[in-house]
Amino acid sequence: MKNQGYDYLKKVTAVDYGDRLEVVYIVYDTARRREEVVGVRLEPESPEIVTVMNIYKAADWYEREMSEMFGIRILGRKADRLLLEKWNGKGTPLRKSFGWGKPYERRGGG
Amino acid sequence: MPTMKINVGPIHPSTHGVLRLVVEVDGDTVKGVEPHIGFLHRGVEKLMETRLYMQSPSYVEKLDYIAPLSWDELYVSAVERATGIETKERAQYARMIMLEFQRIASHLLWLGTFCNDIGQLFTMFMWCFRERAKVLKLLEDLSGSRMFYVNMRLGGMNQELPGDFEERVQGLVDELESRISSYKEVLESDPVFMERTKGVGILKKEEAINCGVSGPVLRAAGVEEDVRRSKPYYFYDKVKFRIPQGRESDSYDRYRVRYEEMFESIRIIRQCLEMMPETGTVLGMRIKLVGPPAKPDPVLVSRELPRGEGMVYMVPDKQKPYRISLRSPAFINLAAITRMCDDCRFADLFSILGSLDVVLAEIDR
Repeated sequence: MKNQGYDYLKKVTAVDYGDRLEVVYIVYDTARRREEVVGVRLEPESPEIVTVMNIYKAADWYEREMSEMFGIRILGRKADRLLLEKWNGKGTPLRKSFGWGKPYERRGGG
Repeated sequence: MPTMKINVGPIHPSTHGVLRLVVEVDGDTVKGVEPHIGFLHRGVEKLMETRLYMQSPSYVEKLDYIAPLSWDELYVSAVERATGIETKERAQYARMIMLEFQRIASHLLWLGTFCNDIGQLFTMFMWCFRERAKVLKLLEDLSGSRMFYVNMRLGGMNQELPGDFEERVQGLVDELESRISSYKEVLESDPVFMERTKGVGILKKEEAINCGVSGPVLRAAGVEEDVRRSKPYYFYDKVKFRIPQGRESDSYDRYRVRYEEMFESIRIIRQCLEMMPETGTVLGMRIKLVGPPAKPDPVLVSRELPRGEGMVYMVPDKQKPYRISLRSPAFINLAAITRMCDDCRFADLFSILGSLDVVLAEIDR
């Protein structure tokens, strides 16, 4: 993508469609002002995707957020600490299988 | 000498919210910064999946409590796009005027607190808040609320514009223009302000693009990029305005870009007033139960928020969104701070952080 002039990564996110996970990259060309949305389908059981950090540094926090929220393993990066969650980080909150109403275990036992 | 790690925050007056920075220092020189975010994470994206479309605007507004109206408008436009509802012409102009006032209010608050951060104590702060209060008063009279407006409805607005709308807007922009133009002399003749912003926190053009920063931070790096120009919405392609850019991409340029943007906003408001149709309603639909047609495609809407490019990626479903993903401009601007702080002095860290204009509620979502 970058060779075609898309030099700016706007957003990386994911959508859980139940039978598949879709990772969405929104890239932009600052010189010619065009935008492109690229989707990648993943298996929901053990999703893995290769990092794009070496091409776009902007992907850094987006990928970390995505792996936290969807349980997607990012290949080619060392394991980072959790970005957003200050709780124990169990589960994958933005997946549709993540239940509502079940209180998670609190760390302090309180 | 070995380096030392210093913890800043999470509760600290200069971090503008709940942000923790772990700073690696060698003497007074910063060798690395590691931001820790997530203290305000409340799962807004997940929460919005459980709410009806028009129940969510108040959640979206709480993302950015300094410019709530901009987020409100961004989200409602995404719902309008998904459901295929057109905005009334007069309401489009009214929205543009309100958005630009919101931008001015946000930049004024930023300028005031930024000056406080770097030691230009309280003069600017008081002046900026004096002007901002007038903008907020106008927005309050238009929407009925001072802070969280929740004024956008599908196709228009919640309330009709008051009868003296045009005179009031005209009077307010005239006053703002004369007041704001007097700031420059005070700021730029102040050696403290100039010393602490010039040449501090440089982010080169290529790196800025690669890091994905947006808004004033990107424009200060010399990139002519503005969603109002590159993907025009409403009547932004009909009004004339300039995109201010910086050259050195330091803190000073980021101040300069925001400062000049306020005048461009005033220009846009004046043109909108002229072009706005005299009659017609701005009222939108006051219904909660709306839904897109069957088998909708994902919707992607971008807006130029005061902090940069905001984006809503929404996979719509019948009555509730199936998935909403929000691009927060401050999130990615803050991520770039690690690349601006190399070998700066410890005190300059807050000049850099302040110049990014972060809002932590929006970053953590």
